[in-house]
Amino acid sequence: MRVVVADDAVILREGLARLLREAGFEVAGLAADGAELLEQVERHRPDVAIVDIRMPPTHTDEGLQAAMVIRQRHPGVGILVLSQHVHARYALELLSAGTEGVGYLLKERVSDLGGLASSVRQVGEGGSVLDPAVVSQLVGRPRRHSDPLEQLTDREREVLGLMAEGRSNKAIAERLFVTEHTVEKHVKNIFATLCLPPSADDHRRVLAVVTFLNAQ
Amino acid sequence: MVSRAHRRELDARLIVFGVLGLLSGAGVFWVASNPVARQAEIPSPPVILLVGWSFIGSGLLSWRARPDNWLGPVMVLTGFAWFARVLAEGNGSVLFTVGQAFQVLYLAGFLYLIMSFPTGRLQTSLDRTLIIVTLGLVTVVQLAWMLFDDTRATCDLCSANLLEVARNDALSNALLQFQRIAGVVVIAVATGLLAVRLVRASRPQRRAVVPVLLAGIVAITVFAVFIVADAVGAPHKDIYGRIAGYTLAIVPVAVLVAFLQRQLARGAVAGLVVELAAVGLTEALSRALGDPSLSVGYWFPGESRYVDGDGKPIELPQPGGGRMSTVVERGGQPVAVLIHDPALQDNAELVESVCAAAGLTLENERLQAELRARLADLQASRARLVEATEAERRRIERDLHDGTQQRLVSIAISLGLLELKMPMGVSQARPIVREARESLTAALAELRELTQGIHPTILTERGLPTALDELCRRAALPAHLELNLDRRLPDRVETAAYFMVSEALTNATKHSHASEVRVTAARTGEVLIVEVADDGIGGATVGGGTGLRGLTDRVEALGGTLTVTSPLGRGTTLRAEFPCE
Repeated sequence: MRVVVADDAVILREGLARLLREAGFEVAGLAADGAELLEQVERHRPDVAIVDIRMPPTHTDEGLQAAMVIRQRHPGVGILVLSQHVHARYALELLSAGTEGVGYLLKERVSDLGGLASSVRQVGEGGSVLDPAVVSQLVGRPRRHSDPLEQLTDREREVLGLMAEGRSNKAIAERLFVTEHTVEKHVKNIFATLCLPPSADDHRRVLAVVTFLNAQ
Repeated sequence: MVSRAHRRELDARLIVFGVLGLLSGAGVFWVASNPVARQAEIPSPPVILLVGWSFIGSGLLSWRARPDNWLGPVMVLTGFAWFARVLAEGNGSVLFTVGQAFQVLYLAGFLYLIMSFPTGRLQTSLDRTLIIVTLGLVTVVQLAWMLFDDTRATCDLCSANLLEVARNDALSNALLQFQRIAGVVVIAVATGLLAVRLVRASRPQRRAVVPVLLAGIVAITVFAVFIVADAVGAPHKDIYGRIAGYTLAIVPVAVLVAFLQRQLARGAVAGLVVELAAVGLTEALSRALGDPSLSVGYWFPGESRYVDGDGKPIELPQPGGGRMSTVVERGGQPVAVLIHDPALQDNAELVESVCAAAGLTLENERLQAELRARLADLQASRARLVEATEAERRRIERDLHDGTQQRLVSIAISLGLLELKMPMGVSQARPIVREARESLTAALAELRELTQGIHPTILTERGLPTALDELCRRAALPAHLELNLDRRLPDRVETAAYFMVSEALTNATKHSHASEVRVTAARTGEVLIVEVADDGIGGATVGGGTGLRGLTDRVEALGGTLTVTSPLGRGTTLRAEFPCE
């Protein structure tokens, strides 16, 4: 799988590239800002672009803006955004342009090489990945009594959170030490409570969840 | 001011002049009543007395009222010059010659009087030229004419002209005509100048100058008509002479009245003290001085400049401009400055006595203005402090992000690689590396929270609406956000508003037992209004350990206000208003 890495800090850019090579990825290009990233994506057409949000020249959300441009010009290129901060808002903006091949992770997740590799792969294959911190901010958010999410059981909310992170029923079952069948039952309940039509695709589930969360 | 001794000396001198005036009036009345030659130029005895005593009497009284003003003496001298011309009807050549020589001198004094009123000083070079020309006409030309004029050729009963050196009718006639024509021209120019002055008179001037200028214009105009009538030998020319005489007599009285009015104005100083309490200092001063355009500046010793009542610096008018300033001192220290119409300069005594009467109030107002100026300075330095702090926090956040955080992440990457590369055999080392990696992740999470508390990056990146949205999403209570913001606001305002909402949400969560919070932010005109209202137990107070004190300081430093409404059992509402020009 071919990737492009964009980060203005050399030490991180190089470290990340080395890490990804170790994990078996082909690092096709490196970029230090939004413009360079667009150039690299244009030239190499990677499977995934791994992008730091805060880059020069504005040091604000350059990376996110570049990501939105890539979404438009090259819908086939997966985008994994790395952020130093938990900004659910940014994650939702990213997902609003389509949930296929999109991820939003906190930068510190790079220390878990296995997790990072699987996230990149998932995005490269068209799935979606949300950082658990972002998900817990969205799902764990306090709600009014009229809120349908309030009617879910704690267990169901837990399952919804894992769904939002992009995990499959099987992964959720493993994580919660229950059978896959139990998870399926929870998911059906969630969809019924939230009036969402069931779907097999992971990213569609995320889409459904996020669209619902976003509407709040 | 004139001292008591000076006053007595002056009074003695005035009495002497008064007695002289009475005596010479009686003398010339007798002369005019028993004329030798019955010359047409000499008015009737009553007119002679009326004009002469009017000038001398008004002159003496004006002199007494305004010892520093030349006009009193000028009027007295003009009166004597007027009497002197009557001597031409006296018996003998000496009296006749003296009378002839003084025939028109009074006109120069009269013109000086109306041209220099009310200051007694000529203002423009044109004025001065006019008076010099007139003096030349009534002295040099008059005497030159007498050198060649044989009076007895035209006046059988007249005495001999002692100054005559050679009879030359053509030359004397030419000089006479020249004197007349030049006189009419001088009068025409003077009338024009006076008319302009009349129209342009500012309000404080108007009260004083209008009667004098009007009477003066009428008198010299009638006199010009008389000269022309005399020159062309028109019938009834004596009528014009008499009218000119009567109007002439009015002018000194008008001058005296104007001077006495100023005396009365000084009496208004007492009224000023009463008015000070009723209408305020500036209004009372402007009434007492008759200058509605008057403004007051107060001395601010801290910065050695004058400030207005609100403590804002003011500019003093440049010399020669349309305004003038007079500094008021107390005990050798400047207290205030009056910025006024230049006309008030003519009445320095009035200004002085008014300022003396208002002294204490001026000092009071000055202290208040100084206080306001200091407050304004303080407010500005407070705002600068907040902005500097904010800039510093932003810098710290940036440094942490670009330095510490990046470095920690790169260590995390290294640890990840180390874990990967570690041979399967060293199984005891693996958990240690994992532990290090996990602590590092925890440290990064803590650092992330810390930097957000120092400065919220999303505020810089996206502005207030997004940042507030993020805050509400993250709140531990359901928070509803209503926004009405159409553009970015100054950084300091956005930051203060953000921290105000953040603090209010924290308070609502910790103390209020509320079930939900409503956050609104709207800009109306140049004011940003931010409100956070919960439905909790209320009873919050500033300084109750809720961080409201710090919040109030922060809002007020930007010139805004923070109000806390928190009735027991009916929720808490924080409302901040920020000026954002």
